[in-house]
Amino acid sequence: MSLFNGNKKSSDNDKEIKNRTTDSLDINIGKVKETLKDCDDIVYKEFVVGEEQKLRFTLVYIDGMSDTTLLNMTVLESLMISAREVAPDASKFADKLYELVRYGNLPASELKGTEDLDEAILDILIGDAVLFIDGTATLITIGAKGWPTRGVNEPNTESVIRGPRDGFVETFRKNTALVRRRIRDPRLKLKQMKIGVRSKTDVGIFYIEDIVTKELVDEVLRRLESIEIDAILDSGYIEQFIEDDPYSPFPQISITERPDHVAAELYEGRVVILVDNTPFALIVPATLNSMFQSPEDYYDRWFIASVLRFIRIIASFIAMLLPGLYIAFTSYNPGIIPTRLVLSIAASRQGVPFPAVVEAFVMEMTLELLREAGIRLPAPIGNTIGIVGGLVIGQAAVQAGIVSPIMVIVVALTAIASFANPSYNLSIGFRIMRFGLMIIAGLLGLYGLTLGFILIITHLTRLKSFNVPYLAPFVAMRTTDLKDTVYRAPIYKMVRRPSLTSRNKIRLRNNRGIINQKAKGGPKNDKKQ
Amino acid sequence: MIKNNDTISPYQITMIVIMTIVGVGIFSLPAQLADTAGSDSWFVILIGGLLNLMPLNIILMINNRFPNKTLPEYAQDIVGKVPGKIITAIYAIYFIIFVAYEVRIINEVIKSSLLLRTPSEVIMLTMILTATYAVRGGVECVARVMEMFFPLLFIPLFLIMIPGIADLDLTNIMPVFYNLSSKILVSLPNMALSFAGYEVLMFYVGFMENPKKAYKSANIGIIFVTVLYMVIIILCLTMFGVTMLKDSIWPLLGYVRDIDLPDLFLERLDAVMLAIWLFTVYTTIVSLYFVVTYSISKILGTKEQKQFVLPLVPIIYYMALLPQNIVYLKEMENFLFQYLGIILIFLIPIVLLVIAWIRKVRGEVS
Repeated sequence: MSLFNGNKKSSDNDKEIKNRTTDSLDINIGKVKETLKDCDDIVYKEFVVGEEQKLRFTLVYIDGMSDTTLLNMTVLESLMISAREVAPDASKFADKLYELVRYGNLPASELKGTEDLDEAILDILIGDAVLFIDGTATLITIGAKGWPTRGVNEPNTESVIRGPRDGFVETFRKNTALVRRRIRDPRLKLKQMKIGVRSKTDVGIFYIEDIVTKELVDEVLRRLESIEIDAILDSGYIEQFIEDDPYSPFPQISITERPDHVAAELYEGRVVILVDNTPFALIVPATLNSMFQSPEDYYDRWFIASVLRFIRIIASFIAMLLPGLYIAFTSYNPGIIPTRLVLSIAASRQGVPFPAVVEAFVMEMTLELLREAGIRLPAPIGNTIGIVGGLVIGQAAVQAGIVSPIMVIVVALTAIASFANPSYNLSIGFRIMRFGLMIIAGLLGLYGLTLGFILIITHLTRLKSFNVPYLAPFVAMRTTDLKDTVYRAPIYKMVRRPSLTSRNKIRLRNNRGIINQKAKGGPKNDKKQ
Repeated sequence: MIKNNDTISPYQITMIVIMTIVGVGIFSLPAQLADTAGSDSWFVILIGGLLNLMPLNIILMINNRFPNKTLPEYAQDIVGKVPGKIITAIYAIYFIIFVAYEVRIINEVIKSSLLLRTPSEVIMLTMILTATYAVRGGVECVARVMEMFFPLLFIPLFLIMIPGIADLDLTNIMPVFYNLSSKILVSLPNMALSFAGYEVLMFYVGFMENPKKAYKSANIGIIFVTVLYMVIIILCLTMFGVTMLKDSIWPLLGYVRDIDLPDLFLERLDAVMLAIWLFTVYTTIVSLYFVVTYSISKILGTKEQKQFVLPLVPIIYYMALLPQNIVYLKEMENFLFQYLGIILIFLIPIVLLVIAWIRKVRGEVS
């Protein structure tokens, strides 16, 4: 049962055609040349076929976008050379020429007939070649896309120690193939559409039909179809059009470069949006919890994965709260920390001319500057920036008496902690929050910091991603969903899929009982035999 | 997938009960009870919890008689349009004073421990404004805030309490059950005070799909609070003894302050405790505040409650400023809980239920 009967993509000739082709090759080519005027990279290969050389053909494609080797072998060679052996007689075959060529003469795998000139021009622009035949209105599109692409590499942003090494690339088709390889299920569906009035970017929506909820797919399609823009250059454009709350500092859609991550999310009932020209896939709906998960969590044994996940959560708290706590403790409530620590902080702050807020701001700003500069620079110079930055943050600033050594520790800790999160865009959200919390801690101390924290939590509770609460499963509580949160239960115990997104709930059978039985009873049986 | 409409789950009802009741009262509760019930106050609070189950279940009975309806709606069904609106208005005023009281108390506590020189205006206004953000999110957001802050509050709370166990002296709760009945009688007003808050269920249960499930959830909530109070009272009682406990203003803070953690990163836990405590005051304020704005929107017959949130800020602020000092604050507390509270928690629900019985009005099951 298909979910979208009414939405089916039109096949060869069944839709209303605005710009219909004619029988005359010259008129057709003239129209194409008119539309594609001043596009000098378009090739019009004219040739004649047959003993008497009466059949005129023109092959149109864009130089560099189409695979010329493929075109030479499948179109030119077979029509110009092989066809001569059984010479088609123009007068005899003229009315059947299209069928003969399409079904008998072109040994290419992807062929399509059309009478719509606009569609043909779009196909040319995508990278296919279009064959015009004199005397026949139907054009033949030969799938010959062959533009320069990058090979499948290990993704840069989400490296893992254990797990598959392949990552998405900029080619839509390669990416869909990488996903299909992991889900050999006829129920894995891919709906494609083109977004962007000028760019006509391919956008694909992946979902597994009997796991995903229909409302979610409908909602994703509805939001995607509402996009009207001239060009989509990256999935980030799509993300900004379809996210729920554009004013939130927290990302409401997860992004990934890893096909195994995409497959795992599909199996949990989420919808994945792939966009041409970018290796970043979008996963909806996203929850805060899902952004703390790395694909590696499921490849390691559960105990290790749980500890790592706990560390990540602690790290996020540190990245968000530590500078604020430092400010609150040193300027308002030194009584909370032990006397000896207070004394050593006070001693180290002696000679520092600024209050703790300013001190923290100077250092955190320096850190962000270093980070930003490090990204923009090429790798060899980036290292230099690291060393210079280390000196500025570490030694020199302390010796100059601008900041205290403890502040250096605080900054270093927040820097490390903010990179411990597997989701890059989420950690940016936490980093931005950190500055707000520093200001409010400077104004109202621990009380202000707590209020700020309350505000952040309330904001997260108000957030939603495609109608799923952002803090699920902590709000809208289901106890079975808690197995994959702060700790990750053993895989064999996660019998159910997350209840908020999926419907076909049971995903595995807990086999521990059988294995334990075998382990106990096994040797006995061997003896009997 | 979660539906988008404003419904509350049974689990969220438990959270609302717990997070609304547990508010500033817990700071002073052990001292007030020690004053009236002495060494038996841990048992008296248990009785208090059980006694409160009765008005709670009366409230739930009305809610079940009018499923999917809140107090402003069914009060009009029972006693007519204008009297119903008057009853709603009384509740709204009561909850506004309640919010103002919470804000004022937290101001006193913060001023005495965390921010000694910061003006009260700043503390109170920031607290109220923080709450407005959640209230503007509507009932769905309010319920989820309760749900979210529950673990954030209670996990650290219990972690903080545990180290104090080493210093406890169990002889302090002796003698047991001495002159019990008179103690219970004297402590009755305190019990109304410490459990006040669950009357918000008259509003929140109306948002449930199946109000029958509220019985279990709400009763669990009250029992949880009773056990929590018992634990806190036993801890404070055994730590300080009756005589010392009577004279302290906020004994729970004192308990945490006395915990000595040598050579740890944090020396004084009371400031941390206060920070965590802000969570529960915040949830209480949010829960009550929403009910106020909701009542006003129902009285005036508007669809949204959002637009009444910000105009209420100066009113709450002004009311919180009314008591001149902590003595007047006590008077406000007495007025709020001993007179108004008992009428609103106990009398009006009973009267409404009886009238509904007599007039045979009941809500339609949709």
